[in-house]
Amino acid sequence: HTAEAQGALKKTINITKKRMTLKNFLENLETQSQVKFVYSPSILKSHRIVEVGSLQSNLADVLEEVLAPMDINYKVENEKILLIQNRQELKIVGRVTDATDNAPLPGVSVLVKGSTNGILTDNQGQYSLTVKANDILVVSYVGYTSQEVRVSSGKTTYNISLQSTTSDLDEVVVTGYSAQRKKDLTGAVAVVDIGQLKSQPAASPVEALQGKATGVQIVSDGAPGATPQIRIRGYSTINNNDPLYVIDGVPYEGKLGWLNSNDIESMQVLKDASAASIYGARANNGVVIVTTRKGTKGKATIGLDAYYGVQQARSSAFPDMLNPQQWAENLYQGYRNAGLDPVSAWGRMYGSGDNPVLPDYLLAGGKVGAQITAADVDPALYNYSRDNSTFYQITQANKVGTNWFKELTQSAPMQSYQLSASGGSDDATYAMSGGYFKQEGVVINTGFQRFNFRSNTQFSAFNKKLRIGENAQYSYTENYGIGSNVNVSGDYQGEGSVLGFAYRIQNIIPVYDIMGNFAGSRGGALGNGENPVAISYRAKDDKSKSNTFFGNAFAEYDIIEGLMLRTSFGIRYENWGNIDIVYPNPEFQEGSFNNALTENQGYNTEWTWTNTLNYKPKLGDDHSLNVLLGTEAFKSRSRQLTGGRNNFFILNSLDYLYLSQGSSNISNNSLGNVGSLFSLFGKADYAFKDRYLLSLTVRRDGSSNFGPDNLYGVFPAASAAWRLSEEEFLKDATWLSDLKIRAGYGVTGNQRIPTFQYLNRFSSTIAQSSYPMGGSSFVTGIYQNAYSNQGIKWEEVKSLNLGLDFTLLNGDFDGSFDWYNRKTSDMLYQLPLPAIAIGLGTSPYVNVGDMQNKGVELSLGYHYGRSQQKPFTLDVTANISRNVNEVVSLAPSVTQQVYGNFRSLQTTILKDGAPFGSFYGYNMIGIYQDEEDLANSPTYSGARVGGPKYADISGNGTIGPEDRDVIGSPHPDFVYSLGINAAYKNFDVQMFFNGSQGNDLYEATRYFTDFGTFAGQTSTRLLNAWSPTNTGSMTPSPYQGASDFEYASSSYYVQDGSFFRMKNFQIGYNFPVKTLFGANTEISRFRVYLGATNLFTITNYTGLDPEVSQTNSTFQALGVDFGVYPVPRQYMIGLNIGF
Amino acid sequence: CSKSFLEKVPQGQLSDPQVISSEGVEGLLVGAYALLNGNQDGTWGNYASAPSQWLFGEVASDNAHKGSDGTDQPNMNLIEVYQPTSTNDNLSVMWTRYYEGIARCNNTLRVLAADQAGNKTISADRAAQIQGEARMLRAHYYFFLVRVFKNIPYVDENTPPDEAKTKPNDTDVYPMIVADLEFAVENLPVEKINGQVGRVDKMAAEAYLGKVLLYQKQYAEALQHFTNVMAGKDITSMPYENNFDVTTENGPESIFAVQHAISPDGTGDNANVGDMLSGLYGTSPVGCCGFFQPTFDLVNAFKVNEQGLPYLDGSYRSNPYKSDFGLSGAAKDNYQLDVNLRFDPRLDYTVGRRGVPYLDYGTMPGDAWIRLASYAGPFVGKKNQVPVAQFPSHTVSGAAYINDLNVNLIRLADVVLMAAECQIELGNLSEALRLVNSVRARAATIAPISIGDTPAAQYDVKPYPSFPSVEYARNAVRFERRLELAMEGHRFFDLVRWGVAKDVLESYSGFEGGFLQSYRNLTFSSRNEYFPIPQDQIDQSSGTLKQNEGY
Repeated sequence: HTAEAQGALKKTINITKKRMTLKNFLENLETQSQVKFVYSPSILKSHRIVEVGSLQSNLADVLEEVLAPMDINYKVENEKILLIQNRQELKIVGRVTDATDNAPLPGVSVLVKGSTNGILTDNQGQYSLTVKANDILVVSYVGYTSQEVRVSSGKTTYNISLQSTTSDLDEVVVTGYSAQRKKDLTGAVAVVDIGQLKSQPAASPVEALQGKATGVQIVSDGAPGATPQIRIRGYSTINNNDPLYVIDGVPYEGKLGWLNSNDIESMQVLKDASAASIYGARANNGVVIVTTRKGTKGKATIGLDAYYGVQQARSSAFPDMLNPQQWAENLYQGYRNAGLDPVSAWGRMYGSGDNPVLPDYLLAGGKVGAQITAADVDPALYNYSRDNSTFYQITQANKVGTNWFKELTQSAPMQSYQLSASGGSDDATYAMSGGYFKQEGVVINTGFQRFNFRSNTQFSAFNKKLRIGENAQYSYTENYGIGSNVNVSGDYQGEGSVLGFAYRIQNIIPVYDIMGNFAGSRGGALGNGENPVAISYRAKDDKSKSNTFFGNAFAEYDIIEGLMLRTSFGIRYENWGNIDIVYPNPEFQEGSFNNALTENQGYNTEWTWTNTLNYKPKLGDDHSLNVLLGTEAFKSRSRQLTGGRNNFFILNSLDYLYLSQGSSNISNNSLGNVGSLFSLFGKADYAFKDRYLLSLTVRRDGSSNFGPDNLYGVFPAASAAWRLSEEEFLKDATWLSDLKIRAGYGVTGNQRIPTFQYLNRFSSTIAQSSYPMGGSSFVTGIYQNAYSNQGIKWEEVKSLNLGLDFTLLNGDFDGSFDWYNRKTSDMLYQLPLPAIAIGLGTSPYVNVGDMQNKGVELSLGYHYGRSQQKPFTLDVTANISRNVNEVVSLAPSVTQQVYGNFRSLQTTILKDGAPFGSFYGYNMIGIYQDEEDLANSPTYSGARVGGPKYADISGNGTIGPEDRDVIGSPHPDFVYSLGINAAYKNFDVQMFFNGSQGNDLYEATRYFTDFGTFAGQTSTRLLNAWSPTNTGSMTPSPYQGASDFEYASSSYYVQDGSFFRMKNFQIGYNFPVKTLFGANTEISRFRVYLGATNLFTITNYTGLDPEVSQTNSTFQALGVDFGVYPVPRQYMIGLNIGF
Repeated sequence: CSKSFLEKVPQGQLSDPQVISSEGVEGLLVGAYALLNGNQDGTWGNYASAPSQWLFGEVASDNAHKGSDGTDQPNMNLIEVYQPTSTNDNLSVMWTRYYEGIARCNNTLRVLAADQAGNKTISADRAAQIQGEARMLRAHYYFFLVRVFKNIPYVDENTPPDEAKTKPNDTDVYPMIVADLEFAVENLPVEKINGQVGRVDKMAAEAYLGKVLLYQKQYAEALQHFTNVMAGKDITSMPYENNFDVTTENGPESIFAVQHAISPDGTGDNANVGDMLSGLYGTSPVGCCGFFQPTFDLVNAFKVNEQGLPYLDGSYRSNPYKSDFGLSGAAKDNYQLDVNLRFDPRLDYTVGRRGVPYLDYGTMPGDAWIRLASYAGPFVGKKNQVPVAQFPSHTVSGAAYINDLNVNLIRLADVVLMAAECQIELGNLSEALRLVNSVRARAATIAPISIGDTPAAQYDVKPYPSFPSVEYARNAVRFERRLELAMEGHRFFDLVRWGVAKDVLESYSGFEGGFLQSYRNLTFSSRNEYFPIPQDQIDQSSGTLKQNEGY
C-alpha cells in the first residue's frame, strides 16, 4: 500500500448526482480523489446504472457503500486502486416450501439461470448448491409460480416459499388416458383446487367439490357419509345423471364415500364431449378424473393430518308449528268452518265444551284424553306387554308441545385422522396412507365411519424404460340410521322417514310415556303420526357395512424413444352386508307387536383391463404430436342374498338376533346382474408452435346392454384451440400472459339403463305368479314381467363448446369462459305402454326423446402478492354457472307424463318444452273471498269460501285436472361461488361461499302441516290463515272435510329455493418449526387450524334446508322436499404435522 | 375380445325359448290365476282392484262408506260422492290389474298355440282344458272391467303388443266374454282339475255365463245355466256363516272363489290385500285401517217388521237406529245397546256395532275401533275379518289387517237370487218366491249373536207368504239380494243394471246426509253408472282410447 493511495482513501468525496453509469461514477471519483482506478469494463459491466444517493464522505466509505452490493472488491496498489468483481464460489443451502401451508416441496428444480447447474430438492424440500455471488437461482415446480432469487456474497441460506397456482399454465393435468399441459387443453376441463377441496371436512370428496368448479352443481346432503347429488352441466337425460369417475385410470360409477379426500392429489372434471368422449358410452354425464397421491424421489416424509369437530343442526331453520292449544283450536275452527260439530268428533280427547280443553293425559289403556279418569292412570295398571290384549300404556299430554325437530337432532362429533408416508429412490417410489373418519349425524342415531388404507408404488428397471406399479385402496365403511346408506342421493326421503314423521306427529304427544317407554299416537284420537325419536332409536342397530377394494396394477414400457406401451388391470370388489331389525311399535296408532330381522349380503365385482400405445415423436421445435391408441374391456357382476324372519323370543340382545332364531315369516331372496363392455379408442393431439392446437378422439364401445342389432356405438370428437398470446401481434402486450380460444364438438353416449331390454323376459315368483290353487297350498306359475324392444340403441349427447382462457399481468388475474350447447338425442325413455298392451309388465326403453342443455360458465381469479413474493397474499376466485334445461320432446305419442306420486299428490311433470323435473299442479291465484266470488269464479267440486282459488287455464269455466300446469322449476337460474384465501406470513385464512339463485322447491311436507291431513302437526302459517277478517292471506282457512282439490298439487307448495351460504371458513397458523423445535428438528411442518362450515345460510325457504336432493319416482323428482336431512353447521380444530 | 364377451343372458329371469313347453304353459296358466286377487305383488295400493270390488261395488252404492277420515285416500271419496275424475288413481289401479290378468291369459293361450303348432308337448285334451281355464279367467277379467268402465278395448291372444296399444274402446265386449264362457262351459270338466279347489270348473263357468247373460237381460238363457248350477243343491243345508269363515271356505256354496293364502314366507301378496284397509282401527286387535264402513241406510235396512219381513217400502228409515252416533259426554260414555230392536240375524254377521260382541274381539266399543265416526258413521264391517284366534295362521305376522279369507265371486245364494230375478222377469212368480224363501229359510237358521245369554237383538227372518205382483216380487228379490250379499261387491252394479241407481242413490243421500255431512245432496247422473277411462291410459294410447261420455 502506498501512502498516496492509502491517503486518497481518506479524501472527502461529494456526489450529488443520483443515477449514473458505473463508468461515470468511477470517473467522478478519479477526478475528486486524484487516484487512478484500474478495472476491466466488461467484467465490471461498467455501463450499468448505479444509484447513488447524495454523499459526502471519505472515499473508502463511498467505495464500500456503492461497490460492495455489486460484489466489487477494491485493492489499493501503488497510486492505483484495482477493482475486482468478486466471483467467489459459495455453497448455499435452503429449503423450498409451499407458501400456503409451509409444507416442504420435494422435487423442486433449483437452477442457476442460464446454466445447467441445478438440483432437485429432496423429500424435506432441502437443497444445496454451489453457486457464485450474483448468480440468479430459478426455483420452479409444476403447479407453482416460478421464482428467481439473486445470490449475494454474504448469504448462504436461501429458504424459498413457492406460491401454488391453479392458473399455472404449465401444470400437467390428467385427462382421458393421458396427461396434458393445462395450457394445451382444447376441451372444457375444470381443474379443481385440491387445497380448497381438502380444507372442507366431508365424508365424500364429492361433497367438498361443491362450488369448486364451474358447471358442476352439487346438492349437498347432511346425512353422514351421504351420497351428494352431482350434476355436470345439467341433466342430460331423464335416466341416471351421475357422472363417470376415473380413479387412477380405472372407470367407476357409484358413490364415493369410501375414498378419503386426503388421498387425492388432483381432480379434473371433463365437462364437454371433446374432453370426455374418449370415455364414450359412459361419458354423457361428464367425467371426474381423480388421481391419488404418489411418492416422489427422496427421503421418506411422514405426515399426520387430523381434525376433530362438532356438528349442529341449524335450529333456526326448524319449521314452526302450532302449540297443542293452538292446534286444537285450529282443529275446532276447521269443524266450525265446515258447519260441523267438533265435540262429537273430538270430545273424547278435548272434552265436551265448545272450546277444546287440553287433557292432562293422552292415553290410559284403551281410553284417550278427556275420557281418562284418575283411576285409569294408576301406574299399577301400566303394562308394556307384547300382546295387544294386555298392553296398557299411560301417557301424559305435553301441553307445551314437543319440538320434534329438536328431539330428533343432537350436537354430534366428527373426526378424521390420516397418517401418510411417501418417498422413493431412483427406481422406486412409494406412498401409503391409513385413515380413520367418523361422523355422527345431527339426526340422532345416524352415523358413518370409515377406515381406509392406500398404497401407491412404482418401480422402474432397464434404465427406467420399464415401469411397473400399483395403486390400491381398501376401505371399510359402516353406516347406521336414515340417510346414511343410500346409493342414490335423497333415497331416504319420504313420509315414512323420521324426518317425514317429525312434520307429521302431533306435538301434544311427548317423547316418552310415564314409565319412559316411547309415547305415540295410539288410541285413535291423536292422528297417525309415528314417534320419529322411536323410529330412529329402533333403527340404531340397523347397520350396513361394506368392504371395498379398489385398485389397479400397471406396466409401462418405452419400446423406442417416444413410443410407450401401457397396460393396466383394475379391480373393484365390494362386499357388503346389512341388518334391519324391526321392533314392536305398539305406541303407534298403526303400530304392531311384530318384530323381525332381515339380513342382506352381497358383492359387486368389476374389472377393467386397459391397454394403450402412446406415440410422441420428436418433430422439431414447431410441431408436437401425441397419438394414443387403446383397447378396454370391462366386466361386472353383482349378486346379493336376503333373508328374513319374524318372531324372536327376546328382542333386547343383538347377540341373540340371528335369523335361525326367528319362528315365522321365513323368507329368502337373491338376485344379481352381469354386464360387459369392450372398447377401442384413439386420440391424436397436435400443436404447431404452441399456437394452434388440435385434438381428435374416437371411441367405439360395445355393450352387453344392447342387442345384436345395436351392439356397438361410435363416439367421435374434435376440438381446436388458438393461443393468440403466442402470435407476434400480441407478443408486445406484456400485460397478457396467456390468451387462448377453444372450440370443441363431440358425441358421447349413455348405456346406463336396466339390462336386457332387447329380450322378452319371464319370471316366476311366489308373490307375483303363484296361486293357492289348493286353497292354502301354492302352485308357482310364471308370467311375462318385461316386454322387449329389439331395436334399442345408444342414447347420445352431441355437444358444442366454445371457450376462452386468459391469464393477465403475470398471473395476477386469470379466468375462463365457456359457452355450450348439449343436445341429447335418442334419449332412452321407458315409454309407458298402455295396460292393454302389456298389463302391469315393464315397458321396454325406447329411443325417442330429445333434451337440451345450454349454458355459460365464467370463472375469474385474482391473485395478489404471489408473483411479487409479498408477505401478504390474497387469492379471490369466483365461479358462476348457468344452465338452461329443456325436454325438447318425449315421444311422438306422448307429450307429457306426470310423476312424483305421493299419496294424492303428483308433484312433477315430464313435458315437451319444459325443463326436466318441472313442478306441476294448479296455479293458486287467491282465496275465494265470499259467496259472490265463489259464484262468479271458476270452481271445483267442493270449492268454498276460504278455500284456494285456482287459475282456469283451460278456460272452460270450471277447475279440473285440465287446469294443471307447470308451476315451477327446480333448476336454478345460476349457481355461484366465491372463494377468498389470504395469507400473511404464517397465518392463512380461507373463506368459501356458494349459492343457488332462482330455483324453486316443492315443499311437499305442507300436505301434512297446512291442511290438517291425518290430524298431524300444523304449521304456524295457519295462525295467519284466511278468515273474513284476514282477507289478504294466501293460506286457506282450516276446514274439516275439505275437498281434495284444496290439497292437490298446486303453486301453494312451490317456494323460492334460492340460498347463499357461507360454506367454509378456516383460519390456520404454520408454526415456525425451527424456532419451536430447534434447528435440527425432524419436524418439517406444524400447522394448526380452526374451521367452520355452513356458518350462515340466507334463504327464504321455509323447509329444514334449501338443499334438497332428488327423490326417486318414475323419474328423478328434483327439489321435492319430504323432509331432507339438514346440512349441519360444523366447527373444527385441525392439525397437520410433517416429519 | 370376441363378440361372445358381450353376450350375456338375463339373471334370474327366463326368456322366450325357455317357456314354450308343457311346464311353461302350465306355469303361465297359474300366473293367469294369480291375478284373481287383484294384485300382482306388494300389499298396499291394490284396493280398487280388490276381487270384492268393495270400492266400486259397495262404497259407490248405498251400502258402505269409504270410512277412515276424509283426508285418507281422498280419491276414494270422489268415487263415493259420484265425482270421479279421469286422474283418480283408483281407476288406474282397477284398469291395470285386470288388463294384467288379461295379458296373462293371452300369453298362456299364445304360448299354448306355439306348443301345439310345434312340439305338442301338451295333449289335445289338456290343451282344450287349458284353453277353457284361460278363457274363463279372461272372461272374468273383462267382465269386471266392463262393469266399471263400460267402454273398454279388447285384445286376445292374437294381438301383439304393438297392435294392442292402438285398440279402440268402441266395441261391445260382451259377445267376446260370452264366447269365452261358452267355450269354458264346453271344455271344462265337472270335477276339479288335479283335485285343486282353486281351479275353475264347468259349474263355475255356467254360473258366470248365467250372470253375464243376466247383465244382458237374456233371462231365459241365463236361467237355464243357473238351473244347471242349482241342480241337486239345497242351500238351506249350507250354513250362511261358513261363507265368511276361513275354516269352512270352499264349501258346497262356493261356486267361484278367489283363493287367498298367506305365502310360505309369511308375506301377504297372495292374501286378501284388496280388502286390507277394512281392518278395524284404533284399539281393536287389528289396529288398521278403518275403511269400508256400513252405512246407516244398510244397517236400518236389516230391520224386520212383526212378520219377520223387511220394510220394502223404505220405511225402515223412519225412527232410524244410529247406535251412539251424535252423543257426547256422559250420554256417550253410558250408551247402552237396545237389545229389543227387531233385526234380520244377518245384520250382526255383516255389521259390527257398539255393544255387540264382534268375532272373538270382545264387545264392540264404538268409536275406539273407528277412525273418525263423525265422518263415516258408527258401524264397522265384519264379513271380511277373521277372529284373533286365527291371526297366527291366517294373517300376516304383525299386519293382522291382511288375512287370507277367500272372496266369493259367485256363491250359491247369489245364483239362487239371480235365478229368482230371471223367474220374475219371465213371469214365474211362484218359482221366484220359492227361491227367495229358500235363502230366507237358511237365514232363519243362523245362530244369534248373544251378550251373555241375551241375544243382541230380537232376531227374526221369515219367508214371504206370497208375491202379490211382479212389482212386489222384483222389490222383494232386490231387497233380499241387498241383505244377503251386503258388502260383497254386488250392490252398485245391481242398481245400475236394474236401472234404479239414480233414484235409489239420491234418495239414500237424503237419508244418510242427515247424519253425515259428506253425503248430503249427492247427485247421480247417467254418466255415474260407469267410471272414467283412466287418463294415463288414454295418454299412453296416443289418443286411441276415447273418454267415456260425460267425463
